[in-house]
Amino acid sequence: MRRKSCPRPILGYTDTETVKLDLDNMPFKRVKYWASRISSWFRLRGFIVLKSSNNRYHVVFDRTVSWSMNVKIMGWACLLTKHKGLTGWFILQCIKQGSTLRVSPKREKPAPRVVYRYGMQGEQVRDFLNYRKLLRSILSRI
Amino acid sequence: MVRQIAVYGSYRARLPVRQRYWKKRADGVRQRYWKQTKRKKTVEASGRYEFSGKGKDLYKAVVKAHRIVPKGFVTVSAEKFVEQSEQ
Repeated sequence: MRRKSCPRPILGYTDTETVKLDLDNMPFKRVKYWASRISSWFRLRGFIVLKSSNNRYHVVFDRTVSWSMNVKIMGWACLLTKHKGLTGWFILQCIKQGSTLRVSPKREKPAPRVVYRYGMQGEQVRDFLNYRKLLRSILSRI
Repeated sequence: MVRQIAVYGSYRARLPVRQRYWKKRADGVRQRYWKQTKRKKTVEASGRYEFSGKGKDLYKAVVKAHRIVPKGFVTVSAEKFVEQSEQ
């Protein structure tokens, strides 16, 4: 017999000016390595790493960029990391013309939480965290 | 592009059941018609909303979005969605 579970919509944060990466099935050390390499190569000033579930991480960079620059950075990351999951996610973001990262819990997975901070965080990282706070307050009231 | 909230995943909605019936036309052809019954069925579907706007409107839109299944990919301002969610 199929058990019916109650579906709950997932909330995410979408924009075009923030460089975001979704790194699934990658150890934390490698995530840190790639994030700092991308940050220094494109002068993105700083980043935060969020843990979404076991061995799955999100990275949000600080500098404000245009959508074309954002696509360039994400494509560069896909090419160098040779990460299948990241490439799939990147293609999806290109179709949507805006990159999205999850903020709310998803089925048994908890909401992503910040596990590492590096460099400056006064621009896009601050906006992302403020928006996340807003989304969390909405979620707690639902 | 403004910052947006993405509401996605699977939705469960109660939709009216449609029933088909046939009628013989004057020229002899049996034509199929549909009518909407009073019965309701539970449907699970996936879709996506992209809301832009301010705090209060966003909250209202997210609450409303829980009940209304989107048709594919819907990008809309939260204020408009709250006012005219049926459209």
